[in-house]
Amino acid sequence: MSLIEVKGLCKSFGNLEVLKDVSFTVDEGEVVVIIGGSGCGKSVTLRSIELLEKPDKGQIFINGREITAKGADIDSIRREMGMVYQSFNLFSHMNIEENMILAPTRLLKMPREEAVAKAKDLLKQVGLLDKLHAMPQNLSGGQKQRVAIARCLMMEPKIMLFDEPTSALDPTMVGEVLATMRMLAKKGMTMIIVTHEMNFAKEIGSRIMFLADKGVYEQGTPAEIFDNPRKEKTIAFIKKLKFISMHIESRDFDLMELHGNITTFGERYGLGSKAAYRLQLCAEELIYEMFKCAEDEIDTDLSIEYSESEKCIRLNIDAKGKEYNPFALSEDDEPMGVMIVKRTSQNYSHSYVSGTNKISVEI
Amino acid sequence: MFQKFYDLLIAGGAWLTILEGLWATVQISFFALVLGTLLGAEVCAMRRSKHKILKIPASIYIAVLRGSPVLMLLMLFYYVVFAKTDMDALVVAIITFGLNTAAYIAELMRSALDATDKGQVEAMRTLGFSGFAAFRYVTLPQAAEIAKPVYQSTIINLIQWTSVVGYVTITDLTRVINNISARTMQPLFMIIVGMIIYLGLSYLVTGIFALSDRIKKRKAGAKK
Ligand SMILES: Nc1ncnc2c1ncn2[C@@H]1O[C@H](COP(=O)(O)OP(=O)(O)OP(=O)(O)O)[C@@H](O)[C@H]1O
Ligand SMILES: [Mg+2]
Repeated sequence: MSLIEVKGLCKSFGNLEVLKDVSFTVDEGEVVVIIGGSGCGKSVTLRSIELLEKPDKGQIFINGREITAKGADIDSIRREMGMVYQSFNLFSHMNIEENMILAPTRLLKMPREEAVAKAKDLLKQVGLLDKLHAMPQNLSGGQKQRVAIARCLMMEPKIMLFDEPTSALDPTMVGEVLATMRMLAKKGMTMIIVTHEMNFAKEIGSRIMFLADKGVYEQGTPAEIFDNPRKEKTIAFIKKLKFISMHIESRDFDLMELHGNITTFGERYGLGSKAAYRLQLCAEELIYEMFKCAEDEIDTDLSIEYSESEKCIRLNIDAKGKEYNPFALSEDDEPMGVMIVKRTSQNYSHSYVSGTNKISVEI
Repeated sequence: MFQKFYDLLIAGGAWLTILEGLWATVQISFFALVLGTLLGAEVCAMRRSKHKILKIPASIYIAVLRGSPVLMLLMLFYYVVFAKTDMDALVVAIITFGLNTAAYIAELMRSALDATDKGQVEAMRTLGFSGFAAFRYVTLPQAAEIAKPVYQSTIINLIQWTSVVGYVTITDLTRVINNISARTMQPLFMIIVGMIIYLGLSYLVTGIFALSDRIKKRKAGAKK
């Protein structure tokens, strides 16, 4: 039997129809990752399962009990699920210990000593035992999120729901939270995860659900969705994930936009801020360097892609104009920009084909 | 200076009259605060309700009572509403100030409740707590913490506003000071004495709040 069963779920906010006749099931032990563009209804789907949003139509069954039924014991059905939010939502007036034992002592009437022992055990598993008496505001984002996960586990839920658990975190802290989630997956926890961390999704998901057009647009194994998407919108979405491209035709192109795109791209692949910065630097220096070859008009194409197999990022620049190889200059003439690129990249090459300088750099 | 102090306050037993006036001020302030807090909570609950039948009267109540001088209200109650009853002037004053303070307290509670984090309530609900439990364990304590400083200054304002009750024959602290300074022809000295006593009351309120903060901190510390 499925642990979660969603049948014909519809939800609108005023005139805005967000979900239309959505149905899916999640079996015990599955890790379902929900992906999709911004505002496509990922959060609403997850929140509907917890009945934080009231569906307009449809039924939702949790472990065989219908949470959407009239007169359903919602509080007791919710105890089977734990939910982790982007904003952590630790109780700010209580220390970590109190945060953890509140639900089991009040709802399950667990004796305080037992609850504290359990809290210590779980905090130890997430590596935060020394924070037992700390207040939430004194914890880093990553620590808060690990406590939030542990707090859910105090109730021994059968299902864990995660709504972008790492989106509010500094890139340096994403790893520790993902590691905690991996640990849960390894223990066989049934999970639904909404995330923008695509590498993580690919690695941890037993099924990927792509939301678009007010519902589940396409779903399948990570290999099916990421490497062989079948439907149009999925293909476009996946392609955009792997690829940045930009056409430049003026010296005052939008550098900020490029930097922004590279940052998001970096976050998606868990590159870390240093690598993303290096990438920004190389792209910027090379674009300016290649302006030198332009005759009268500037016509440059830039593309950045991530190669899964080689675990590297390839930056390509095609600049129309005279032949100009920035890498072949003598050391004395070498501009700063080129020096930086040479230092930060692993491989670089130049070729001149039919009026176009083709530069390729691997980072 | 000491001589003057002795002559005016001690010798004729004036300090006893002052003490009686102070007692009236304290009584009015205290009971008006209790009434105002209880009623203010009601009004606040009505104001936050989804039903218009509750919401609109509460809004009108708040607007009218905050928008009119408390002395007008006091005169209305003393000379009109309760004129035919033989209700004690002190009780009329307590009712008046209670109703007035309730409007302010309803608003301060509302803004404190609105300032609490809805995400934490959702976290409570998804752990399996009822809406009431979420309110009791998360919203209420956090709102109380937010409301504390405003509540404190509301109390101090209330105490000072009670100084108008002399208009309806109550001999409160201000009235007593006024009487003595008229009788002794020493207004400057007596007014300073009066102000110092009011100041003392304010400090007392501030002190009580500071003490409660400290006890709370110690409790939190003791748990470690
Ligand atoms: N309480 C609400 N009231 C009105 N509109 C809402 C509400 N909650 C969500 N929406 C709208 O519903 C749509 C779907 O929202 P949802 O939060 O599920 O998006 P999402 O897929 O989680 O996006 P993101 O990646 O930005 O988090 C959005 O257009 C949003 O503006
Ligand atoms: Mg969302």
